[in-house]
Amino acid sequence: MKTEPDPLKPAAVVDESPNRSPDFSPHLPPRATYIHVPFCAHRCGYCNFTLVADREDLIPAYLHALETELQLLEQPRPVDTLYIGGGTPTWLDVDSLQQLLQIVLHWFPPRRQAEFTVEANPADVTPPRMALLTEAGVTRLSLGAQSFDPTKLRTLERDHTAGDIQRAVQLVRQHGQQIALDLIFAVPSETQSVWQDDLDRAVRSGASHLSTYGLTYEKGTPFWTRRYKGQLRAAAEEDELAMYLTAIDTLTAAGFEHYEISNFARPGCKSRHNEVYWTGGGYYAAGPGAARLVGNLRQSNHRSTTTYIRRLASGDSPVAEAERLSAEELARERLLFGLRRLEGIDEAQFPQQTGFQIDELAGPAVRHYVDQGLLARQDGRLRLTRQGLVVSDSIWPDLL
Amino acid sequence: MLDLKYIRNFSIVAHIDHGKSTLADRFLQLTGTVDQRELTEQMLDDMALERARGITIKARAVTMHYEHQGQMYELNLIDTPGHVDFHYEVSRSLACCEGALLLVDAFQGVEAQTVANAYAAMEHNLEILPVVNKIDLTHARTDEVCEEIEQSLGFDAADVLRCSAKSGAGVDQVLAAVIDRIPPPEGDLRERLQAMVFDSHYDEYRGAITYIRVINGSIRKGQKIKFLRTGSVHDVLELGHFRPRRQPSQQLQAGQVGYLICNIKELGHVHIGDTVSTVEDSALPLPGYEEPKRMVYCGLYPSDGENFEELREALQKLAINDPSFEFQPETSDALGFGFRCGFLGLLHMEIIQQRLEQESDVDLVQTAPNVTYEVDTQDGRRLTIHTPQDVPDAGEIEEFRQPVVRVSFVLPGDYIGPVMKLCEDRRGKYVRTEYLSPARAMVVYDLALAEVIYDLYDKLKSATKGFGTMDYELLGYFPADLVRLDILVGGNRVDALSIICDRADADRRGRAVVKKLRKEINRHMFEVALQAAIGSRVIARETISALRKNVTAKCYGGDISRKKKLWAKQREGKKRMKSVGSVDIPQKAFLAVLESGGEK
Repeated sequence: MKTEPDPLKPAAVVDESPNRSPDFSPHLPPRATYIHVPFCAHRCGYCNFTLVADREDLIPAYLHALETELQLLEQPRPVDTLYIGGGTPTWLDVDSLQQLLQIVLHWFPPRRQAEFTVEANPADVTPPRMALLTEAGVTRLSLGAQSFDPTKLRTLERDHTAGDIQRAVQLVRQHGQQIALDLIFAVPSETQSVWQDDLDRAVRSGASHLSTYGLTYEKGTPFWTRRYKGQLRAAAEEDELAMYLTAIDTLTAAGFEHYEISNFARPGCKSRHNEVYWTGGGYYAAGPGAARLVGNLRQSNHRSTTTYIRRLASGDSPVAEAERLSAEELARERLLFGLRRLEGIDEAQFPQQTGFQIDELAGPAVRHYVDQGLLARQDGRLRLTRQGLVVSDSIWPDLL
Repeated sequence: MLDLKYIRNFSIVAHIDHGKSTLADRFLQLTGTVDQRELTEQMLDDMALERARGITIKARAVTMHYEHQGQMYELNLIDTPGHVDFHYEVSRSLACCEGALLLVDAFQGVEAQTVANAYAAMEHNLEILPVVNKIDLTHARTDEVCEEIEQSLGFDAADVLRCSAKSGAGVDQVLAAVIDRIPPPEGDLRERLQAMVFDSHYDEYRGAITYIRVINGSIRKGQKIKFLRTGSVHDVLELGHFRPRRQPSQQLQAGQVGYLICNIKELGHVHIGDTVSTVEDSALPLPGYEEPKRMVYCGLYPSDGENFEELREALQKLAINDPSFEFQPETSDALGFGFRCGFLGLLHMEIIQQRLEQESDVDLVQTAPNVTYEVDTQDGRRLTIHTPQDVPDAGEIEEFRQPVVRVSFVLPGDYIGPVMKLCEDRRGKYVRTEYLSPARAMVVYDLALAEVIYDLYDKLKSATKGFGTMDYELLGYFPADLVRLDILVGGNRVDALSIICDRADADRRGRAVVKKLRKEINRHMFEVALQAAIGSRVIARETISALRKNVTAKCYGGDISRKKKLWAKQREGKKRMKSVGSVDIPQKAFLAVLESGGEK
């Protein structure tokens, strides 16, 4: 991996301190930022994300609103990780994308060795865009590949082909960035062999990071309606489970570390930005629907792109929801979301980071699930067992 | 002194919704007891719940003055509950009257409660004046209904009064008939005091307000009186008439109806049907006092065990106002500490529950209602069983008896078949069929009360497209082939899910209950077996498969607060569940045993 010198000189002095472990307190100024870009070519049938399709006319107003929102920071905030997601950030035309990068890099200058991720649709990864991203110092491209299988891609209503993925991967590698691929499994009528094939091709693609997501049917999406009407048949629980376990076995055998419920990485290639979420770190965020945790204050922006723009244009706050978390709530979040990481939680460090003992927060529940074999306490760590991993959502309510 | 011949005591009996309250309001207005401005609709139903349900639950009384042919009369209207649950209160109210208006809707015609109420009035030797109400309805079939009254109850159709309580048409004739046709009370002013307690209610400031009808003698303010059944002695602090609010006076005399306030702090000390007399040289008690019978029992448990004391206080408060409701602490392995509560019937149970919900914040788990059974044991004991848990082992039972009721259904003739099938399916014993008119019939069956309380009313409504009505009276306890059906969840017997049922129904009920439970209980991380058993014999089984996969794929910054909310909601839901072994059972599941398994 090589990092180009930053062409967009940050306005503030960059803290040259070495990269920190993500296990930092949220009370410190955050060193991570998420930027949401709500534009897509079209909305896929399963998607319930914050985005608008076919509204490119809103891009200038969005960029203006984003800039207005970031001015609330008053001064640039140097970061260790920067993540631009969506939507499809690469759906922006080259000029707009350049503007976006300028704005973001001004307010969030990357520190040394920073991780800078941009999400991309394989079909949008073109030489001009890649040149721009490279110039901006992007270190990681997260490609919404979803599958290499034409039928599956059609079912998912994706507008790219397996060929697009391969071309994109090649181009990204030429520019020296790391590649992360998203894959979806348990798509209607998908067989185990289709999924196995997707995994194998993902491994061979040269990606250093893979995320595998079982297809979910979210209320309000066309997929949900079609399933409700019996037009789509969701995969059987047994099949979905088998596919998930296949992913774990195939990818770990191929040298990936299974480090979070849905995430796999080659050594040294974990998503440092996402680790901040799971380890209770603070993070800035901007854009429609974006959520931030600064100190003990969690806020989410309004999910509607037009409302977001309107509010900022009229001098109002884009924040739709806010909650102030007590020390105990922060500690519980740290416990729950920390357990999504396969290495679990260091029982000795936990009280130092949060001020609470694990047993004091959830002693009986933890003991109960250890007895049931869903959690394990070993070598000073508390973590999910393989059995606990697949039913982990049944555990969380008891730890809250 | 008021001459007895200028007093009339009467009540109005009717099937629900036939316009009793509207007619009472019209009387109040016509006699100038309340003026138009004061007349909130349906004055006599002063409990909010009664209004909401359009039914009268507690008896009420009102004194009106009316001039008839140049003479002023005192008319005491004693309202009666219209529902079979309150049968005892009806009979006490009727015992205070010399006559009754039998009100029948000009469209609906004679219904089950019309017949039941008419018979009750006849038993008390009351002069009955049949009245057809709502004669101004577009679809009124007044002449036909008069014929029905003649056919079913034996009154001369020509004597039936006709009115519209809503418009007021014919209401003065009804009042005139009350005076002309209902006899004045008999009684002797010079006799020793003898008054019947026919109702009571609790006033937060004054304590118990006792409703009385003076039979003989008179009662004065400041006098010492004695309740003959309980033997308690009190000073009369205040007495008077309801007009319809309390209006104090100096005395009440033979033939009159009114109230007493005696500084009685608990309604439980006033027994409906008791006799009030003087302390020294008391009169004989009037006939008819009996404890109200609780026919239906259920368990009420706080969802959160910590609210046990709060629930106790709430129940106590209700019992002060309603002595016919009783409760006792009980313990369930599944539900913890709670109360076994006795009610006059299902409606009464529903009313108490609604009050609990409205008046306290305690979240409740209710177990399925059951009737009271009797068991004779091999060793010669006689047990009264209020809960399935108390049923002894089969080997110890000599005889198992259940309450049987005589149910009268009134329905259009076309539906006789379906209704007979309903009854036959429930092992009903056919008694008779009578035609009230060419198109309407009354079908009478003897049925186990347990069969009646579960779902018979709903089934009747659906079998007769809503036209059928029913009423019932207790015949007594009769032996039956009964068993206790137990439900096991994950191999553990859940005491709160046990039911008593006829052996012939056990298989069907058992299958239905476990099937229903399968839907109500969430999947767990292990397989959960649901079994229905009689003793150690399993008669039905269902399995809830283990939850194999439950994992959120995506969980990044924007998902955290949403996921937390979802999990917090699940945790709250789980907290309200009851754990048996390690299986979480939702509250709703405890009513799963009401599932009858449909028709055979």
